[in-house]
Amino acid sequence: MPIIETVDLRKVFRSIKREPGLRGALGALFTREYEEKAAVEGVSFSLEPGEVVGYIGPNGAGKSTTIKMLTGILVPTSGTVRVAGLVPYEQREANAENIGVVFGQRSQLYWDLPLRESFELLRSIYDISRDRYRENLAEFSRLLDLERFMGTPVRQLSLGERMRGDFAAAMLHDPKLVFLDEPTIGLDVIAKESIREFVARVNRERGTTVILTTHDLADVERLCPRIILIDEGKVIYDGALERLREEYGTHRTLVVTLFESYPEFAVDGAVVESREANVVRLRFDRRKLSAETLVRRVLDRYAISDIAIVEPDIESIVRRLYLEGYGGTARVEPP
Amino acid sequence: MSVTMRRRFRLEPYVEFAKRAIAREATYRFNVFTGLGSLVVRVYLLRTVWTALYAHNAAPRELPLHAIVTYSTVALLMGLVLDIDQTRALYDRLHDGSIATDFMKPINVPLYFFADGTGEVLFHGALLVPALGFALLLVHVDVPSLGVLAAFAVSFLLGYFVGFFLNFILNCSAFWTLEISAVQMIVTWLTDLLGGQLVPLVFFPAALAGVVYALPFAAMFSTPLLIYVGVIGPERYFDVMASQLAWIVVLGTVSTLLWRAGARRVVVQGG
Repeated sequence: MPIIETVDLRKVFRSIKREPGLRGALGALFTREYEEKAAVEGVSFSLEPGEVVGYIGPNGAGKSTTIKMLTGILVPTSGTVRVAGLVPYEQREANAENIGVVFGQRSQLYWDLPLRESFELLRSIYDISRDRYRENLAEFSRLLDLERFMGTPVRQLSLGERMRGDFAAAMLHDPKLVFLDEPTIGLDVIAKESIREFVARVNRERGTTVILTTHDLADVERLCPRIILIDEGKVIYDGALERLREEYGTHRTLVVTLFESYPEFAVDGAVVESREANVVRLRFDRRKLSAETLVRRVLDRYAISDIAIVEPDIESIVRRLYLEGYGGTARVEPP
Repeated sequence: MSVTMRRRFRLEPYVEFAKRAIAREATYRFNVFTGLGSLVVRVYLLRTVWTALYAHNAAPRELPLHAIVTYSTVALLMGLVLDIDQTRALYDRLHDGSIATDFMKPINVPLYFFADGTGEVLFHGALLVPALGFALLLVHVDVPSLGVLAAFAVSFLLGYFVGFFLNFILNCSAFWTLEISAVQMIVTWLTDLLGGQLVPLVFFPAALAGVVYALPFAAMFSTPLLIYVGVIGPERYFDVMASQLAWIVVLGTVSTLLWRAGARRVVVQGG
C-alpha cells in the first residue's frame, strides 16, 4: 500500500487584487476585487514506503502548497490526498504523529529554550517512551555531533548547528515519513554533506520515507533515485532520475576557443548557444551528430586554440525542462 | 475507509507548555520590575485623584472614599492578570508564519495557546503578592468578609475567561487581516473605560450605563469589583455571575467558530 497517494489534487488561492502604487494601496482598503490563482492544479502521484523522492520545481511551482496539504495544514480545493491511510486535513493530529518536518528557513525548535529542552518538550508532545527517547537522542547526537551545544538556547546556535538540531527534532518520534523543505539552504559544503549522510542513513536503517524539496540538485543526485518535477502547479515529470538524464541529457555542449575573431560563426548540425569574445558554445544532439564529426567540421572552417566537450548536468537538464516544458511527451510513470 | 479515530487526550504536553511559558516570562526580569514600579505609582496617583475629587464633591452613598480607594487599588491589582494579552502568541505565530509548524505537531493548537497563556498569567498572577504588599504601604484597602472574598474570587475567575476569549477573538482576526494593532488599541481603551477599571460604572449616567452593561467589558472588571466593595450584595450574586457566564458562552462560541474558519484558511505568510 502506498504511504502517500494524491489524486487530482488542486489548491486555489484567492487574494485581493491590488493596483500598484499608493493609489492601489488605498483603493484596496475600500474595494474588494479578488483574483484566483491555482497554486496546485491536478497533482497525482503515489509513494511507496521507504522511497526517497525529490520533489522539485522552480519558485512558486506549488511545492510548498503540496507539502502543506500532505501535512494537513491546508485543505485542498478538490482532489484526494491520503498519507499513511489518513486524510491529513481531517485527521491532522493523528497524521502529525506519522510525519516529521524540517524547514531550512524556519525552525520548529523553541527559540528561547536550550536545545535539550526543545527535545524534552517534543518527547512529551509525541509521547515518546523514555527508552526510545534516550536511544534516539544518543544516536542522533552521535551522528550529528549535537552534544557540544545541547545546553545552548536555540537562538544562539549557528545555522549549521540549528539545522542539525532540527533534523534530530524531526526524527525523535520515529516518523514513517519526513518532509524536508530546502534542508541544506545556506549551509557550507561540510554541513550539507553531513546532513545528506544523515538522511541517507535514516532512510536505509529505519526505512523512513523521505520527500525532499530543494533547489540544490546536488541534494537530489546524492539522495533521490526518483524525482517528481512540478511546474505551474502541474507534474511535468515523475520517474527515475537516471531516465531523465538519458532522455533529456541528449544535448552536449562543445566549447570552442577561436584563434582569431571571425565576424560569422556557424557549423552545420549545431546551434550557437552563446559567443563571448573568442569563446563559442555550441549545442548539439549526441544522437544526431557525433562529437568527432562536429569537431572535424569546426576545424575545417576555423582556426582554434582550445576545445572542450561539456556533458549535461542534472541542473542544466532541469533548467531546460523549466524553460521548455516536458516537450509534449506523455508523463513518464514511475518504474 | 475513512475512519475518524479518536485520539487519546494527554494533558502532559500542555502542562509542559505552561511550565515553559512561566520560565520564559521569568527571563524578562526588567519587565517585572518596571511593571511593579508603575503599578505602585498608579495606586498612589489614583488615591490622590479620588481624595481630591471627594473633598470637593458630595460622596455617593454606596461608595465612600475608603471604598473607592479600595476599588481602584484592587482594580489595578486585577489588571496585573486581566491586562495580559495571553493569546498574543497566536498573533505572533500567524504573523511570522510559524503557526505552520504548530499545526504540523500532534497537538490541539488552541489548547496550546491556552496553556502558554495560562503559564504567562500564573507567573504574573504570582506578582500580585508583592504588588499588594507595596500597595498596602501607600493606601488602606478594605478587606471584606470571607464569603464576599470567595464570591469575588469566583467572579474574578469568570471575568478572566471573558477577557481570555475577547483576546482570543482579537488575535484570531489576524487569520484574515494579519494586522490587528489598531483594533487592539481600541479594545484596550474600551476595556479600561467601559469595563470599570478606571471609573466605577455606577458613576456613569443612566443612558450610558445601559450601553455599558450590554457590552462584555463590565463582566471583566466591574462585576468582581462591585462584589468586593459590597455594591453588589449577596442577593444579586447569582444574577451577575450568570451574566458573566453567559458572556463566556457567547464569546467562547464566537472564538470556536472563528478558530475553525481561520484554521481552514491558514495562509502562511512567506511559506
